[in-house]
Order: sequence, then structure tokens, then C-alpha cells
Amino acid sequence: MWLVQYRDLIWNLTISDLKVKYQSSVLGFAWSLLNPLLMMLVLYFVFSNVFRFEVENFALYILIGIIVWRFLVNGTMTAMGSIVGRPGLVTKIFIPRQILVLSSVLSAFVSSILEFLVLIPLLFILGVGVTVYILLFPIVHVIYLLLVYGISLFLASLYVYYRDLNQIWDVVLQAGFFLSPIVYPISVIPAAYLSYYMLNPMTMLMEIYRDFLLYGSMPSLLSISMVFMAGCLIAVFGSLLFQRLERRFAEVI
Amino acid sequence: MVETLKFPRQSPDKYAIKVDLLSKHFRIPKERKQTTYDHLVSLLPGRETLYDDFWALKDVSFSVQKGETFGVIGANGSGKSTLLKILAGVLYPDFGTVQVQGKIAPFLELGVGFQPDLTARENIYLYGSIMGLSKKSIAVRYDEILEFSDLKRFEHMRLKNFSSGMTVRLAFATAIQTDPDILLVDEVFAVGDEAFQRKCTEKIEEIKGAGKTIIYVSHALESVRELCSRCLALDHGTIQSLGETDVVIADYLAISASGSRI
Repeated sequence: MWLVQYRDLIWNLTISDLKVKYQSSVLGFAWSLLNPLLMMLVLYFVFSNVFRFEVENFALYILIGIIVWRFLVNGTMTAMGSIVGRPGLVTKIFIPRQILVLSSVLSAFVSSILEFLVLIPLLFILGVGVTVYILLFPIVHVIYLLLVYGISLFLASLYVYYRDLNQIWDVVLQAGFFLSPIVYPISVIPAAYLSYYMLNPMTMLMEIYRDFLLYGSMPSLLSISMVFMAGCLIAVFGSLLFQRLERRFAEVI
Repeated sequence: MVETLKFPRQSPDKYAIKVDLLSKHFRIPKERKQTTYDHLVSLLPGRETLYDDFWALKDVSFSVQKGETFGVIGANGSGKSTLLKILAGVLYPDFGTVQVQGKIAPFLELGVGFQPDLTARENIYLYGSIMGLSKKSIAVRYDEILEFSDLKRFEHMRLKNFSSGMTVRLAFATAIQTDPDILLVDEVFAVGDEAFQRKCTEKIEEIKGAGKTIIYVSHALESVRELCSRCLALDHGTIQSLGETDVVIADYLAISASGSRI
């Protein structure tokens, strides 16, 4: 199994990715944590004053949504270019190419964990605190990792052949941002559409994260297992497509 | 581990590499379709894509014995690099079989995966693991790598501040530590100053002496003659001649001389 055999390589690629990302400027690391906070302030101002949504702890509600969403965006966007962006590792040496995708996703995963760590003091400062259910975080976040990795396998392998996929995916993500409950409560969705709306795994994920972080309650096990199933399915089909397309990577890049 | 696990393995025998009727076929579209838009447009009627067919390798068969240093020569575009890439597992063979026994270290290019923004130390660990070394074995060999490349003083300098010669020295010193059974070499040793080149040649001789198999692809016929006992000359993807190095090189020179007169 490549995951075990190449674990040192996966780790080294992930670490060097993070080092390069955070080394480029002194504030590099701080910026990546400030970004979601500033984004939250902007969205909070717009959606609480202009749209006047009445949600308890709306600032934290938005912030959790943003941090959850950012992992999808950062993970898939960097992983999409991971094959095309490192031609040497594809055409000059053989390593299982999934490693390139996985290490990109893992580096976004580590960044995402750091962002959640910033959230925790804010939970105390704004008087919400934490409950024992926060211990679910590792499990849920690993399930989410599986989902992001699966999507990234699709994107990275297709991007080799369709070089404008990043533009398309960018639009999809823009749409997804507003089709997921990040800046508004689910209660604004008309009842007629609600059953379709809830099919979005990102909606379920955000509900789960908010349950154990913001509301201090046990998230629904059904949602967790459904997201897990979605993650498994996407990862399996992503791997199959990736293996199929991988054969000609070195010829096309 | 740098291994080509995809290829079927046989019970151990004296062959390190056995290639049977290997063919590799490239289809080069006359216009390049790179975007979704291009692909959609090509679906319109009367917009069929035209391809240039070309066989990079056609029915190539040979075997290399364990411990042998085997040369591959040929003009530009004769299929040398394609062959090497298939042996390395980077390209997939379209037809035929390739059997490889043992751990392969492909030296198609040195310093693959180097990160200019990281220090020499960080790059040794990164590149070492790309070449199939575990973290532990890099740590053991770390001092030796710095010593061989003569870069001890620059251990904590970022790679982007290195000269190209220093970068290559670091890459070679790291790559050579992989301890493979089979070494694939594609003219990477034409780098660095004379002293370093001598060091490299010594190292290759040392590896050769240790009973490793080496596949050596080069334009430099002199060094092929010096290193290799047997040799393969490729011409437009087919075998022109195969056998004793001196005979093959004489053949190759005769044919390319007569070819250039026409």
C-alpha cells in the first residue's frame, strides 16, 4: 500500500509545502489566520446590518462556516494544480501520483486545524465556551479530509487534460458558498426546497461543526455517517478515475 | 522505495531487466486541445481532430543481466529517453512487457522536486525521500551527503541562493545515496566542474564494482565505450544493433555516416 510505503515522502512533501507557504513573508502565518477573521467581520457587518438576519452568536456562526468552507476551497484549489504544478515529479521519476494530491490536501488540512485553534479562544471570549462534544473534532475533520481528498482526485486528474477547469471550479465554489449555510441561517430556505438543500454534504458538515462547537450538543449520527458515506464514495470513484487517467499524465504535462 | 511495482515479477534469475516486444505509440493531435472549450468545439460536426501517429518504440526486445553496465545510444529522437522513462515507470508501455527485478533509481534528471525556498538541509530530506530513502536512512547518510557535495558551510542556506553547480552537486550527492539495484542514467553527469565530474565517475565505477546494474544512455560514445560491456543502438524506435559495445558503436558510426551523406 503506497500510503504506508511512502509515508515519509508524504510527510516531507506536506511539511515543505507548509514551510514554503508560511515562509514567504513574516506575517505569512499570521495572515492566513487573520484572513478568515477579517472575512467574518465583513460578512457579519453585511448580513447582520443589511439583511438583518436574527441569529444567536451570528459572528461565531459565520466564522465557523467560513473556516469549514475554507478547507474545501484551499484544499481543492491547491490540489487541483498539484500534478500540473510539479511536472518533474511526474515525468522524471516514478512515485504514486496520488501522493502529490494527498500532500497538497494534507497541507490545507493542517492550515485548517490551525484556523480552528484560533476559533477556540474566541468561543470563550464571546461567552459560548466548549463542551465535551468538542472531542468529536478529530473524527469529523478526518471525515471531511476524506471528502476533500476525493474531490481533489477528480479535479487534479481532469485538470491535466482540461486546463480551464480551475475557472469552472472557481465558479462552482462561488455558487457553493451561497448554497451552503455560511452567511445565513438554514431557516431562510423555503420549505419546498429544503429537502434538496439538505442533500449538500457541505450543509450537513456545517451543521455538524456548529452542533459540537457553537451549540455544545451532540451532532446527529445520521448526518455524520451520511457525510462519511459521501466521502467514501467520492474518494473511491476519484481514485478509480485518477488511476485511469494517470497512465498518460507524463505524456500530456 | 523507488520501485516499479506495476510490472509483473518473475522468480529470481540472472536478468535484472527483460524487455519483450516493447512498443510505445504517441498520438500527437495536430491542434492542441487544452481547455474544456477546445474539447467542446471539437465535438461539433466537421471538426474532427487529426492526429499524427508516431511510434517512439517499436518491437524492442533485449535483456540486461544483473551486474552489467548496459549502454543505450542513438540519434536525437530515436527513442532512448522514452525507453528509459518506461523502465523508470513514468510512461506506460502500450504493447509488450517489461520485467524489472530489484529497486530502480532513475537518474533522468537530478534535483527533481527541489524547493528553492527551502534550505539545503530541508531539501536533502525532501529529495532523499523522493528518491525513496526513509527519513532514518537520510539522517544516517546526512553528513556524508554534505561532505561529498562539499557544501557543509551552506547547510542552512536557501537553495535559491545556490549556484547551479552547487545545486547539482547537492542533488547528485543525495541521489547517489539511494543504494539501488538498478541505476538508470541519462547523461546527468555532464554537470559540475571537472573535479566534481571526476568524483562522479569514480562513484559510478564504485557502484559498478559493487555489482549493481547500470543502464547508461548517452551521446558521448567515448564514455559508453569506457563504461559499458554491451550496448544497444536505437534508430527511429527500432533496434539498429545490439551486442558488444565496440561492434555496436562501429555499426552506429558507419550507418550515421552513410546516412548523413544521403
